[in-house]
Amino acid sequence: MTGIILSLLLVPLISSFLVFMVPNSRKEIFRPIGIIFSLITLTQCFYLLFTDYGKTKFIILSNYNWIQSYGLEISLGISGMSTLLLLLTSLLVCVSLLSIGNEHAESKGFIGSLLALHFAVNGVFVSGDLISLFIFFEALLIPMYFLMGIWGGENRRYATIKFILYTVFGSVFIFIGTVYTAVISYGTNRALALDFDTLANLEFSSSQSKTLFLLFTFGFLIKVPLFPLHTWLPDAHVEAPTAGSILLAGVLLKVGAYGILRVSIPFFTEGFLTYKNLIAVLSVIGIIYGAIVAIAQIDIKKLIAYSSVSHMGYVMLGISAGGYLSIEGAIIQMINHGITSGALFMLVGFLYERRHTRNISSFGGIKITMPKYAAIFLFTSFASIGLPGLNGFVGEFMILMGSYNSYKILTSIAAFGVVLAAIYMLWAYQRIFTGPISNEKNENLKDLNIRETLSIAPLMLFMLFIGIYPSYIESFVIQEAGFISETIAIFKDLK
Amino acid sequence: MNSISEILSFNFLAIGPTLALVLTTLVLLFCTITISTPVYIKKYITFSGIIITLFTIFLKFGLFASEGVNSYFSEKILVDEFSLVGNVIIGLVLLLTFNSFWKTSKEIDNKTTEALILVLMSASGFLLMVDAENFIMLFIGLEIGSISLYALAGLNRGDQLSNEASLKYFLLGSLASCILIYGVALLYVSLSISGVYETNIAINFIGPNNIPLTTLIGLIMIIVGLLFKVAAAPFQAWAPDVYQGSPTGYVGYMAAVAKVSSFIVLARLSAISLRFIIDKFDLFFTAVVILSVLAGALFATNQTDIKRLIAYSGVIQSGFILSGISFGVSGISASIFYLITYIIQLIGVFTVFSIISGQLSSDFKISNLSGLFKENKFLTIAFSVFMLGIAGLPLTSGFVSKFILITNLWSYEKYLIVTILMLTTVAGFYFYLRPIWVAAIEKSDNVIEKIKISISDKVLLGFMAALTIYFGLLPNTLVNITRWMVENYL
Repeated sequence: MTGIILSLLLVPLISSFLVFMVPNSRKEIFRPIGIIFSLITLTQCFYLLFTDYGKTKFIILSNYNWIQSYGLEISLGISGMSTLLLLLTSLLVCVSLLSIGNEHAESKGFIGSLLALHFAVNGVFVSGDLISLFIFFEALLIPMYFLMGIWGGENRRYATIKFILYTVFGSVFIFIGTVYTAVISYGTNRALALDFDTLANLEFSSSQSKTLFLLFTFGFLIKVPLFPLHTWLPDAHVEAPTAGSILLAGVLLKVGAYGILRVSIPFFTEGFLTYKNLIAVLSVIGIIYGAIVAIAQIDIKKLIAYSSVSHMGYVMLGISAGGYLSIEGAIIQMINHGITSGALFMLVGFLYERRHTRNISSFGGIKITMPKYAAIFLFTSFASIGLPGLNGFVGEFMILMGSYNSYKILTSIAAFGVVLAAIYMLWAYQRIFTGPISNEKNENLKDLNIRETLSIAPLMLFMLFIGIYPSYIESFVIQEAGFISETIAIFKDLK
Repeated sequence: MNSISEILSFNFLAIGPTLALVLTTLVLLFCTITISTPVYIKKYITFSGIIITLFTIFLKFGLFASEGVNSYFSEKILVDEFSLVGNVIIGLVLLLTFNSFWKTSKEIDNKTTEALILVLMSASGFLLMVDAENFIMLFIGLEIGSISLYALAGLNRGDQLSNEASLKYFLLGSLASCILIYGVALLYVSLSISGVYETNIAINFIGPNNIPLTTLIGLIMIIVGLLFKVAAAPFQAWAPDVYQGSPTGYVGYMAAVAKVSSFIVLARLSAISLRFIIDKFDLFFTAVVILSVLAGALFATNQTDIKRLIAYSGVIQSGFILSGISFGVSGISASIFYLITYIIQLIGVFTVFSIISGQLSSDFKISNLSGLFKENKFLTIAFSVFMLGIAGLPLTSGFVSKFILITNLWSYEKYLIVTILMLTTVAGFYFYLRPIWVAAIEKSDNVIEKIKISISDKVLLGFMAALTIYFGLLPNTLVNITRWMVENYL
């Protein structure tokens, strides 16, 4: 099993190097290399799903000495939530490689950076100690910096610097938290042991737990992003290339929520119990605020970006409620949002490649010229809104159900987010697709070709499958969600 | 029957590296003034001189293995872990920068030999400095090294900036030397001592609480003289001008060798001489660290010349290295780890600059880098690795060094320093990423044509970039070496 975990890291890394090694004269094989290698990773993730490791709480499988004299070790492990997120990552990398236009597909830097990003994200989800978690968390930035900087839009310099500085500012807090934890761990174990098993047995005093929770959570929340910390997200999404947006919305935002579930809550439970109300209030503000701002957007990508703020608000609400059902819902919502927003960004990318604009007002009535595209967009919009029978409904329903006991008023307010989602998505759909063709440039738009249809199809399949058979995906996170909510419940009883 | 040389413990192996370099310069001198020698022979002589130096350093390990820590030449020269590590690093700096300084020297027609002699003499001086047990010996080594560096900075006579750099370096450097030697004098006046171990013994004898004020002032003056060489604020004023004005091919060597020797000496002072009273200097060190990182970050933000930017980043890095130098085994070893990884990146960055802009050029604007990536992928990638390493991004050695340094500071509860260091790191991302942006990402009409890189340069750059990543992934060996250096003393 260690071999599979290691190969989840090595295969994307090797494929990235391989792409860089291919001479520039063989432009056409960059994309196949990327797709084949991400399919290998995808297969490994599917295999993991069907073993016991796909359903457990986090277990550490292997340790490697890093700095012996300090007792620092690098640990790798796996859990149900990790497996699902790894699967999501490989899937999104694979389909975004398939979906990108030839301009990007023939650039080895683009494909190579995307695969390097895949490596770093995989690293976050399998790391079993704070050091490697932090290393991979920061390493994400390098490929993202190049993806956004080189292939981004007009205003990319501002957006990239903003994205980098926000994230680095957040990770400084995680870094300080790691150092603080290391010093506390040294006091008990006489070694800077930072793996999750050791941390689970470590005793933190009340003030230590609160400080550490704040340090870690602040860093992760910038990545999520929670309401007042979200301002980098719309800029980054608008300027990032399509594939960058897909992975940013689909995976990078989950890294923040993953960190909170993996580190902040289980180890610093007392801090969590102290600050959870604050997080819940902020996430409900985020749900409503994101949705209202999304209504007013004229750029489609910005609209989806603000809808991400709203949807990730649900995740944070579910996490802060801390119940069994709500945490399970939060994890499932993470997966769902990854699939749906990835699909939406991909669809917007298709439109942008044809018209080189994302302004809603420059479209209108294109259902006539692109019927297939319109149907797929409507399907994805419904999934995003949370129509019963599609995946978005499952997560949001579970979160609202699970949170109601803890936060009656807040949950009632949050439920209005679903209504608002219907307003901004359907209104946008109406303005883009229905009515007569208002702009003559839209008269000759080509509908989706086979490659584009193939790249969106797997995502639609997952939307439908999760929507009609949610208990299957639930079975992978039962143990994990149970473990986290039990940790919280036991701590509450102790108080 | 003891001969006089045995009583005085003459052992020329103890200063073998210094002697080897001096002999090489003599051979070079001989070649120039007697017979006209082709330029390639001078290259071989210099290179073999460096190899012999490295070999004598290797022999010194043998001496250390048989004799242990021992002093020679009637307690003037010390062979201990610090001097060995210092010798190895200076030897490696010579080896890594050989290509740059050789090409630069070759470009200065009719002064090639002088240039080579100056480089080798400065290295021999700094080797003597890290070997010195006596502070007078330390001063002699420092002066041999520094005076050669002053001349190196101004070697490009036709360039105004180079002249300015040389004069500034000379004037401020000699002031710093004055302060150092005055400190040694004060130390001798107050306690009649002038040695590394003597200081320790004397302080132990009179008790840490009864130390005369004169002694403390003398010690601080010695430290200030050393801090000047590493360009820690508020003694950093010379660094940007000297870095900017000096011939680019020399700057990597000049910066690295001065920093290495001064920090090794500072580490030895902290671990041996001042070990009982190091807490008295706490406030002083804290002030210097905070000033360095703040001043460096503040000035680096709005530089348009990249050599000046690296100079101010050097001020920040000096602050970082200094922050661990007074905190036990882990602190000193983390500092030395930081030092070694930093000078690798420093030399790499300046090698890249000298390849792009020519060995003798002085100022180098950030905008000169624009469009580098299109035709020079290897150079850009190497440059990016070094810059990210200096910035301290994970997967590079810069991150590991910052991590172990800050963990140690935290365990001593130095929260103020930790906060300021971390804030500087964030600010650092702003100005370290800018050159990468200009070189690799920004689309510009300006294209730097393909620069032909010699194989040796390629190997060197690849090696240094690989080391930067290797120490980021597997730092175990280097951490053990740096710990071995200090763990017998504290």
